[in-house]
Amino acid sequence: MSVRASMGAMRVVIAEDAAVLRELLVQMLEDRGYEVCAAVPDAGALRAAVAEHRPDVAIVDIRMPPTHTDEGLRAAIALRSEHPDTGVLLFSQYVETKYATELLAGGSAGVGYLLKDRVANIAEFTSALDRVAAGGTALDPEVVTQLAGASRRTDDLATLTPREREVLSLMAEGRSNAAIAAELYVSAGTVEKHVASLFGKLGLPASEDLNRRVLAVLRFLKD
Amino acid sequence: MRDTAAGDAPDTPGQQYGGGHGIIGGMPAGPDAATAADSPASRAPALSAVLRAPLSRRAGREVAYLLLGSLLGLAGALPVLVLLALGFAFVVTLVGSVVGLLLTVAALGLALGLGSLHRRLAGSLLGEHVPAPHRPAAHTGPGLFARLDARLRDGTAWRHVSYVLAKLPLSLIGLYAVQWWVVGLINLTAPLRWAVFGQGTHGMLLLTPLPFGGSPTAHSFAGSLLGVVMGLATLLVAPWFTRLVVLTDRWLLRALLGPGELAARVRDLEETRALAVDDSVALLRRVERDLHDGAQVRLVALALGLDMVKTKLADESTLDLDAVRRLVDGAHRNATEALTELRDLARGIHPPVLDEGLAQALETLTARSTLPVELTVDVPERPSPAIESIAYFCTAELLTNVIKHSGATRATVSAVGSPGGGLRLRVGDDGHGGAEAGTGSGLTGLAQRVRTVDGSLEIRSPAGGPTMITVDLPPRA
Repeated sequence: MSVRASMGAMRVVIAEDAAVLRELLVQMLEDRGYEVCAAVPDAGALRAAVAEHRPDVAIVDIRMPPTHTDEGLRAAIALRSEHPDTGVLLFSQYVETKYATELLAGGSAGVGYLLKDRVANIAEFTSALDRVAAGGTALDPEVVTQLAGASRRTDDLATLTPREREVLSLMAEGRSNAAIAAELYVSAGTVEKHVASLFGKLGLPASEDLNRRVLAVLRFLKD
Repeated sequence: MRDTAAGDAPDTPGQQYGGGHGIIGGMPAGPDAATAADSPASRAPALSAVLRAPLSRRAGREVAYLLLGSLLGLAGALPVLVLLALGFAFVVTLVGSVVGLLLTVAALGLALGLGSLHRRLAGSLLGEHVPAPHRPAAHTGPGLFARLDARLRDGTAWRHVSYVLAKLPLSLIGLYAVQWWVVGLINLTAPLRWAVFGQGTHGMLLLTPLPFGGSPTAHSFAGSLLGVVMGLATLLVAPWFTRLVVLTDRWLLRALLGPGELAARVRDLEETRALAVDDSVALLRRVERDLHDGAQVRLVALALGLDMVKTKLADESTLDLDAVRRLVDGAHRNATEALTELRDLARGIHPPVLDEGLAQALETLTARSTLPVELTVDVPERPSPAIESIAYFCTAELLTNVIKHSGATRATVSAVGSPGGGLRLRVGDDGHGGAEAGTGSGLTGLAQRVRTVDGSLEIRSPAGGPTMITVDLPPRA
């Protein structure tokens, strides 16, 4: 809140075709001090709204009219190249690893992909939104689980301790060491120790850059 | 449909009627023309058709077909007969049975080839396009005998043999029919021949196409005019004789050179299976879509609303009771909506009342209808659940159609068991009719669904009504 207060309210555009949810999202975000520049029901209107308002972040439903397939994803990819400064948080009722991969193909900075259910945990949802707006990454744990489940590196994963695996998943979701520490109720030093250990075991290049770290982990999981 | 027709009518009334009766030149245009068609005046075109038949294009093509087809038939039947006779003879001797089987196979091959020629001839001259039978590559074992066995079991080939053999007598009759034309034309030239060649020694012979009764002889020029009369009479009859022979041939072509009943049945089953699969995929997609756009959204909104309430309640110092109340109202509404949507969805998949039987299910269905519905159910023996389900959903969709499209004030639904254990479903209304498949009424989809269980759907819906749609279903799918 303090960061936002100093920079002015975070500006958001919402694209969601279900009016019930769209209106509730607007209300919720406004309650929490966000500035909702526009709330639109389809991808075309989304691109126009982003071009007009240049928001910090856009929340985009994947399935929208007219075809109800992946117009949200297409629009998100287009937005990434047209307005790189605007973060894009995709959300939908199912998470598809393929969508996540396509979205992350252009880099992991300022992108997020969450299950719609996550909206119901407002604190987590807004923290993911903040992360994406600030140029970070927010991936749904479900995506990470799917990636890890489909990964051919299961032998490597088996060498990790349960704690290290938890840390790896949270890293893949796009969390910083501090956020991971908070989530697991441990100290930042402990998390750093786990991170160093699992990076060593998996042969991943250590990096301080959060986005590069996320990409490394995802690439590892995807293989 | 009807709306469009009514909208166009005032602009182009003359064209509408005039165009329709253009063939009958000089007839008064307008609705009266239709009634006039039944009066004696209508005999004129019929008579003219009879008189013109010998000159018609159709007759020409049919004669050409009979001539070529009969020659091909005779030429083809003989070698097939010889091969078969030799083949059978060799088989009977046992010693030469392999040779005999080979000859038989050759006969079959020849018949297949001839059949294809006949099909092409009929296609190009008669426009009778009989599809070539689908002959899947036989799964044969290795070795000569396995291959012989497969060839000899080829039902299509044997049907071709039957055609070639049946064509033999038909060819003779066909040539005889052609002879009528020839005789007729020759007789027409009698006066001309008289004028050029004179009477000859025994008078001039006039031909008749009949194989009995002898032939009259002309002894004077006036007598030769009788030839013209005979020629005309023969030529008037010839096209109908020709047509009769051609009709018989068409029937044989379709029955023996076409894909065959079993193959047609297989194709029908393949088609309806594809429809059934598409239908169930479409149903699943609809269910997914309904869940996605309905209950799931409601539940997400409900959860979000509740978390917003929780957040508001957490900080008692700034508690805004009105805002909380609004949120709880919204959450309650979302929960109720989700319940309704889920219930509708579940009923759309399988109405629980259907387990009690079709009678109860239809009662519930018709009672829920916004239109008064008179229901008759007399199904002594319960059909299988799949049939009951199809009958139920057909009724539901037909009733929806009645309410949406027909403008009816009342409807009737009857479900009656037929003697064979099948089910006859009839949905009628007193609306303005004009219902037909393929007009967005969903009737095409219904007909397809009914077809997947070998049922049938009949639409009787004249413009102006009333409409009666009959669905016949077998006892089980």
